[in-house]
Parts: sequence; structure tokens; C-alpha cells
Amino acid sequence: MSTDFNLVSELHDKTLVIKTEGYINNSGGENIAQEFSKHNNVNKLILNLENSKVVNSMGISHLIEVIENLNQSGGKLVFTNLDPTIEKTFTIMGLFQFAEKADTVESALNN
Amino acid sequence: MENNNLVEKLSLQVGSFQEGFEILCKSFSFEEMVKNFLHLMRGNFIVSDIYAYHKKQNDSEWSLVASLKNNDLSDKSYLVDSNDLSINYLEKEKFGVSVTLPLSDKSSFGILIGSKLDKSEFSDFDKITLQILLQVFDSAHKSFLNQKKEKELVFELNEKVVQLNNLVDTLIEASQYDKRSVLFELALERMASLTNASFALFQIKKDDNIVQQQSFPPTFSVDDVLNSELTIESSFDFNNLSYQFFLAEKETRAGATNFNDLDKLLLDAITRQVRSSIENEFLNNQAIEKEKMEKELNVAASIQQRILPEELPLIKGYDLAGTNIPSREVGGDYFNTIALGNGKYALIIADVAGKGIGAALLVSTLDAALHSYLEFDLPLTKMADKLNKLIYKSSPPDKFITFFIALLNSETGELDIVNAGHNPILLLKEDNSIHKIEAGGVGLGMLDMEIPYEGTKLNLEKGGRLFLYTDGIPEAMNENEEEYSDEQMEKFFVRNNTSGSQEYVDKLVDDVKKFSGNAEQSDDITLLYLIRK
Repeated sequence: MSTDFNLVSELHDKTLVIKTEGYINNSGGENIAQEFSKHNNVNKLILNLENSKVVNSMGISHLIEVIENLNQSGGKLVFTNLDPTIEKTFTIMGLFQFAEKADTVESALNN
Repeated sequence: MENNNLVEKLSLQVGSFQEGFEILCKSFSFEEMVKNFLHLMRGNFIVSDIYAYHKKQNDSEWSLVASLKNNDLSDKSYLVDSNDLSINYLEKEKFGVSVTLPLSDKSSFGILIGSKLDKSEFSDFDKITLQILLQVFDSAHKSFLNQKKEKELVFELNEKVVQLNNLVDTLIEASQYDKRSVLFELALERMASLTNASFALFQIKKDDNIVQQQSFPPTFSVDDVLNSELTIESSFDFNNLSYQFFLAEKETRAGATNFNDLDKLLLDAITRQVRSSIENEFLNNQAIEKEKMEKELNVAASIQQRILPEELPLIKGYDLAGTNIPSREVGGDYFNTIALGNGKYALIIADVAGKGIGAALLVSTLDAALHSYLEFDLPLTKMADKLNKLIYKSSPPDKFITFFIALLNSETGELDIVNAGHNPILLLKEDNSIHKIEAGGVGLGMLDMEIPYEGTKLNLEKGGRLFLYTDGIPEAMNENEEEYSDEQMEKFFVRNNTSGSQEYVDKLVDDVKKFSGNAEQSDDITLLYLIRK
């Protein structure tokens, strides 16, 4: 059964920008983690969730693993274009203790 | 002495054991912990190769986790299956040591240590060091598991807080949406994310036929979902429609699983809110409709009141009175007495079929047309014919006007009459007999087939009384749904043959109202009463 999740990624030097589209559930989260793992030496992952308005706890658990991986190597994950509901969910889940957020990809790239 | 040396050497190593423990504890994964451990081992034993294996359950295969090697000599056959710590020092084999360490989670950790680079045997110090390092690993692994468990507990707790928070937000947002499609979309998304459902489906059914369907994610096989064994649902009925929500296949890392009681609670809570929103929308629409109707009625009432006469003309030698008491739903009753000059007067009563603005506008058309045509002094039957054509063109097929007109020559008492489909008008003669003036044609606007209207000429003698009325009087109903009736009205007409005209009007209205009691007035009460003195 299709779950309507897609992503596109771009590498800018050591920064990987992933833009998602669709429901970030278990398989969506897995896709993000797999895409990240394809690139070595990435020390910054920018995750643009503009087209993902819904995320569940399974998806979040994959994101947490990606964050831990990055933090281990001194890198960071930056979420951008967050839906207010998702931003609130991430805040409660404590993600922003270990990851950052920015309004746009551009501002995340510049920081 | 030798033992003292050992103790002394080990004391010097305490710091590095401690440091090793801390490094292992900081590992964020089992694999990283094992790698760090192998580095620790190699640093202590200066060996060629070290291989680390892991077996999750007693009956599963050993799998290689990490290695530090110069050559690929890995060989699982040297590992021993044991429920206790097993350390085997091997001689003349490709490995120097084979270790099996059972871990606290019932898995097993296996290590194969190659020979020392200097080809020497493992000394007592090495053996004790190995024991200590294995204990360090075991403790670090326990700490790692505890941290992992703690993280999972924190995650679960946060997840519950998120669920509660999102549920409250969802209920608030759902109560604010007035567009159904957005409401259903919101409900589906939140149900799916709160319960980790793979799919959410919403259906509205009427008599088992699906009239509307929406899903999240938008594209998936509905049949697959409905046929899945891992579903929960919640539903309600409202206004002869059945609303159903389905969730399918709760996600876990290990695959799809059944939903739990909490998931059902969440689903039911959101379903209840959707129901509440739909009910509120219905009630709101009803209130808007009611307000619209009331505004329309007010407009119709004001149109009607502008047309009806505030005062009737004084006719020398006659006593004239009339009234219109509108019902709650403004009807299309009309009455008037128009002075035509030369002692001639037109007495008119009419009733438009239907209520509201439509009826009021038609009455307005009739009033304007009457005033125009009466100026031309046309024969009444011809005027009726013209009015018929006009009303026929001006109104929808279901609208027509019952109409009665009597042109009075006040000097002679002659009445020139046309009754187009109206109730029989009553004429009381001096001898107290009633003459009913029946219809001489159909209501205005009913047909346009060139059927001529029949006129009548009568004389109103002195003492005679003419009673024009609309059907709101004989058809007035009481709480037992009984009508006032033509019979009762005619008896009243005869009985009150000495009242003045205004007195008659007032008494008749009172009598009808007394009869009706608390029943709501369903139609306008309109009458004109003329006495020739």
C-alpha cells in the first residue's frame, strides 16, 4: 500500500538538505534515515518539512536516531518550515534540546 | 611477592579501567561500544587480531559485530555456547583466547583474541586484566541498556504528553471548522498521527450506500484497509446519515500490530468532536435559515401594510369598516375601498395563494393594476379579464388570486359585481335572508384561456348588509383542529344584524379568536363590512 511519502536531497559541501513530502510515519522516517546514511562526512542536515504536515511517533523515533548520529560526530540537524502542530510536537518530545529549527532552508544554510 | 607485584600493577591500571568504563558508557550504540571495547582490549594485550561477536538468543547464530584485524581469521567455530562466563586459553591454535560472556539481556557476547604480537603466552596479569575488562564491558552494557530503557521510557512519556496535547488541540480546532471537508481531513490526520495508524478512512453512508469518502494518506486501497484484521472504528448517526471512521495497521518497528485501548479512546474522542461540530453546523444553519425567513416575513409584512388602507373612505348613507389581522407567516390578503368619484366606490377583497414575499409582491401588483384600470371605467368583466392576464404573466404557475370586486353606486345602492374564484360573499337582506354571491370565474392568474368572467348586478337595499371576507375566518382552527366554519360564520352574520359596521368587525374578530383559543393563527383574517343605512 502506498503511503505517499517522497523526498529530494541536495548536498551543499558538508550540508545535506532533505525536503520531504507526505506523512512521516515509520517508513517515512526510515527513508529519511536511509537518505542521510548514504552521505558520508555530512556534519549538518537540514530537514525541510514544508510539505509534511503529519508525523507520528514512529517517524519521530527515526529522526531521533539521525539526531543522535549527527551529534555523535559533532554535527547538527536543523528543521525548517515547520507546521505549528509539528513544531509543538517536537518541542514536547524534546527534539530541540538536541536539534535546531529555522524558518527557512536559506536561514539554516547561512547559520 | 609475585602477588604483590600483580596487585601493584593492577592498582596502576585502575585509572585506565575507570576511563575505559566511561568511554564504553558514552557509546551511543552497541556496535560503537564493542568497537571501543576492542580498542581497549588491543591497547592492553598488544594482539594481532580481535573479533567480537554477538548472539541475541541462545538458539541463534553468532554474528560478527566488529573486529580489529591484520588478517581475516574470523572463525565462529572457536566460540563456545555457554550460559556462564567462559574463557578458554588456546594453545597452538590460530587464536589465543576464546571468550563467551553472557549479557544481562540474555544475549551472548563472544570474543576471539588472536595471539600476542610478541608470541608470548597470556600471563596471569593478562588473565586478570581480561577478567576485569570483561566485567567493565558487562557493567557498561548494563548501563547502556538502562540508558536505553530510560530513553524509551522518556520517549513513551513524552509521546503520551504529545497525544494528550494534540488531542486537546484537535478538539479545539475541530470545533472551529465550518467547512466539512477541512474538518474531516483534520480529524483523519490527527487520528492517524496520534495512534500511529498507517491509514485512516472516513465514510458517510446513507442506507448502506457510500455518499462521501475521504482517506489519509490520500491514496491507498480502501478494500485492503477494510479487509485488514488490524483495524478499529468509531461511528455515529445523524440526520439519517451514518458517519464512520476507520484506522488500520498500527505501526511499530517490528511491523503492523493491533491498536490498544488508548488508541480507541483517542479515536472515540475525536469522533465525538466531529459529531459535535456537525450538529452545531446543522443547528447554526437552521438558525440562519430561520433568521432569513424572519427577515423575509418582515419585508413581506411591510409591503402588505403599505398597500392596505389605513383608513376607509366615508360613504354618505353607508357604514363601512374593515380590518386585516395578519398571521405570523405573512399571507397575501388584500382589501380596499377606492372612491371613484360621482358617488361610486369599488369595494375589493382578495386572497393570494401562498405566503411570504412572493405573495406580498403579487398583492402589490394587484393593487397597482386596480388603481390603473379603475380610472378607465372599464366594464368589470373586462377589467377582471385584464387583471387575469396581468397576474397570469406576473406570477409563477402555482400562484393565483381569488378576487371579489363590487362597484357600489352609493346613490342607488346598485352593486356591479365580479367574483373571480373567491369565497361566496354574503349579502344580508332586510328580511334577514342571506344571499350568497358565488364565483363567476376562476381566480386571477390561474388560467389564461379567454374564458370570460361572469358579472352580477345586485341591489343593496336600505338596511342591507354586505360582508366581504377571506377564508382565514371560516378556516380558522382551534387546538382540536376544528374549523370555525362557514356555517358558524353565517350564523354570526345573521345574529349580529343590528351591530354597526366597526362593532361587527370587532365582535367577529373576537369570536374567531375566542374559538381558536391558543392555536396559532394560520392565515390572515380580513373582512370588509358595509351597511346601507
